[in-house]
Amino acid sequence: MRRRLREKGNAFVIPAIFWVLTFTIFPLVYSFRVSLSKVLYGKLAGFAGASNYLRMFGDYRFWGTLRFTLILVLISVCATTAIGLGLAVVFNRKMKGLRVFRSILTMPLFTAPVALGYLGVMMFYEENGPINVLLKYLGMGKVPWLSHPLWATLAICLVDIWQWTPFAFIILLAGLQSISDEIYEAAVIDTSSGWAIFRHITLPLLSPVLGTVIMLRMVDAFKAFDIPFSLTSGGPGTATRTLTFYIYTQGLRNFDLGYASAMAYFLLAITMVIGLLFFRRYRELYE
Amino acid sequence: MGWRKSLVLLISVVFVLGFVFGALAQEGASELEIQTANAAFEAADKGNPDPAWKGQKLTIAVYSAGPRGAISGPLYFWRPYFEKLTGATYDIVEIPFGELREKIFTDLMTGTGTYDIIVGPSWFYGDYIMNDWIVPAQEFFNDPRMPKWEPESIALPVRELYMWGDKLVGFNNDHDGQVIYYRRDILSDPKWQEEFKKEKGKDMPTPPWTWEEVYEICDFFNGKDWNGDGEPDYGISMHLKVGGQGFFHFMALSAPYVVSPAPGDNPAKVTRYHNVYWFDPETMEPLVNTPGFVEALNMLIKLSKTGPSAMFGWSLGEAWDAFLRGKAVMCWSWGDVGSLAQLPDRSSIKGRLGVAPIPGSDKYYDLETKQWVNKKNFVANTVGASWHGVISKYCKNKELAAYFLSWQATPQINHWNVVWGWTGVDPGTSYDFLQPSGKATIEEYVATGYDAEDARQFVTAYEEMWTKYPLRQTYLRIPGTPEMWEVYDIHLSEAVTGQVSPEEALNRIAEEWKAIVERYGKDTLKKIYQEAIGYKPE
Repeated sequence: MRRRLREKGNAFVIPAIFWVLTFTIFPLVYSFRVSLSKVLYGKLAGFAGASNYLRMFGDYRFWGTLRFTLILVLISVCATTAIGLGLAVVFNRKMKGLRVFRSILTMPLFTAPVALGYLGVMMFYEENGPINVLLKYLGMGKVPWLSHPLWATLAICLVDIWQWTPFAFIILLAGLQSISDEIYEAAVIDTSSGWAIFRHITLPLLSPVLGTVIMLRMVDAFKAFDIPFSLTSGGPGTATRTLTFYIYTQGLRNFDLGYASAMAYFLLAITMVIGLLFFRRYRELYE
Repeated sequence: MGWRKSLVLLISVVFVLGFVFGALAQEGASELEIQTANAAFEAADKGNPDPAWKGQKLTIAVYSAGPRGAISGPLYFWRPYFEKLTGATYDIVEIPFGELREKIFTDLMTGTGTYDIIVGPSWFYGDYIMNDWIVPAQEFFNDPRMPKWEPESIALPVRELYMWGDKLVGFNNDHDGQVIYYRRDILSDPKWQEEFKKEKGKDMPTPPWTWEEVYEICDFFNGKDWNGDGEPDYGISMHLKVGGQGFFHFMALSAPYVVSPAPGDNPAKVTRYHNVYWFDPETMEPLVNTPGFVEALNMLIKLSKTGPSAMFGWSLGEAWDAFLRGKAVMCWSWGDVGSLAQLPDRSSIKGRLGVAPIPGSDKYYDLETKQWVNKKNFVANTVGASWHGVISKYCKNKELAAYFLSWQATPQINHWNVVWGWTGVDPGTSYDFLQPSGKATIEEYVATGYDAEDARQFVTAYEEMWTKYPLRQTYLRIPGTPEMWEVYDIHLSEAVTGQVSPEEALNRIAEEWKAIVERYGKDTLKKIYQEAIGYKPE
């Protein structure tokens, strides 16, 4: 009887296995095969060995896009986490209009990144765009937001931070609210310093949540595509072209699928390493 | 009423309003447009539509600009006429410019056949031909069912884009090339002419005939309040954003520095070293890092300093607007600027437009002798897309598709599209050019809202460039062209924004082009390149 039930139970797993095989394992294996092939007009045109992988090392555009991606990851993850944490601390108290503020703050998160990118085109417009007009009133000069490599990098980072700070804010606020008031009440007996309480009580207790936020943001930032695509088209030159953007261009515009797959595997490896490091740290903390 | 019902009602109202406004947008045509279109429809040859076509439907892929936008607009406009004529209809699939290649090539590569007709750019031809993806227009030309159109009316440099060898492959529609636009009122103003002479020590060249002269004029006007609005204005306006089609500027500018005349009776003859622009037709070595290109890129950089720095982040629309709103004294671009200048909602310069053929250079680099030749050089260009229809080999009703495209290519319909500038169809045929050398009258343009002198200069500039210039720049029509142009675009942007030197940028382009040539197969590409530019090895 028990055996029959177990067999019946196994049958229920079959759709899930089918799903994973079809939509995860097969594309993964197939794209690996493609990464080892020469591809012309979407058709496999012979075995290419590791040449697509080796090509990455000699491709300065690959390194350029990787460098920009790393800059974006670093700036965006640090800024979204720091600002998100600051806002979460501020809003983690009883105050009037709290719900309204929270709702307004989270709005950019529910906007399509590509739409934010196009909105950014208007905001950062150099000739009389709202940001430059504001800077002009403040007595500052015209900033070449979209036409200078450094400023364009900053513009991309700002839009990305604008979109993703609410994500960090929501998660970290939930984390803060899960910390018991009793711990704070006990801490107040020992010290009156808010910073000391934050440093020795809040931060350690929040660190698992903080780690989750940082990991998810990093993985997401490594895949950034829509905002550079719509805001700067990756320019000037390739100054704001992310690795995902480059993979897209090579794979879907130039149909160089072999090389695009090889680069996609490289990106996969980076995100997997981040994930593994995170879960290892997670285990160390909780086991 | 419960909130659910209210929500459903609200959504329904929004949908209904959406449809109503959508329909109104499609019917935004003026009475004059309708009248003249009816006349063109009556006058155009209609061939003999096959009754079997009744009830059939085609799907047309076109670049996305909306029901009243460039190139896609005429498809919406003429659809009811086509339905009346054949009883058949068509769906229009608008594809954003940046996604044209992936959408169209994926359809053709996989043989899906979603699109029966592709109204696409001429730079797709290399891929079309190599993969045998399209059915040549020639196959339908003598079919008695087809309306008669006149390929020989198209100016030769553009006609060559519609052909492969001696075979007609595409159907006449748009005619792209860049000319120089300037403010006629400002350049002919004695006050500015005098100041120019004082500052530069010579008369202001009006119109400018070389890039050196263009630079001098733009340099003079840049930073001066020549439009009287109390703010400093600009010399030139360009669109130099990556993906903003700025590389076409450079193509047109560089041609006279790079393309050299052939010795002998026929200076336009394509030899290994003469009248070539892209590759050495014998070796497929890119020419893009030769001295002519370096000189031209230095000129582009010099010119870019006579306009707003924001240009490096501008696409087409922004660059045109700066000129049309009277903030820049000059720009060089396609025919769209000439027609947009006449629209009161887009332009403040109607009646003040000067147009001249694309400037030449004071010298050119001879690839054979590897020497500079200090002689003026003028080269006509067909840079741009020259958007036109081709029939997919997967089209299920090729005759119906050919009928539609032939009918659109007839002189009356095509010319109607040209004179109504919003269509984005630019002039380029003898029936667009003015009498006595052409067949059109200035009144035809004035009737649609053109200023007479603007129209005369506009149409004549194109006619002069395409019929009187001794040389013409060849067009790149080999597999991988879109990829090569993307590389070109990126590295030119690096150079103009000062990220790398002009030499380094051009070397990067050359290296990447070599890799693309190798990937597609050098011998295959060489054969197609030679065919595309009309080079015959001796």
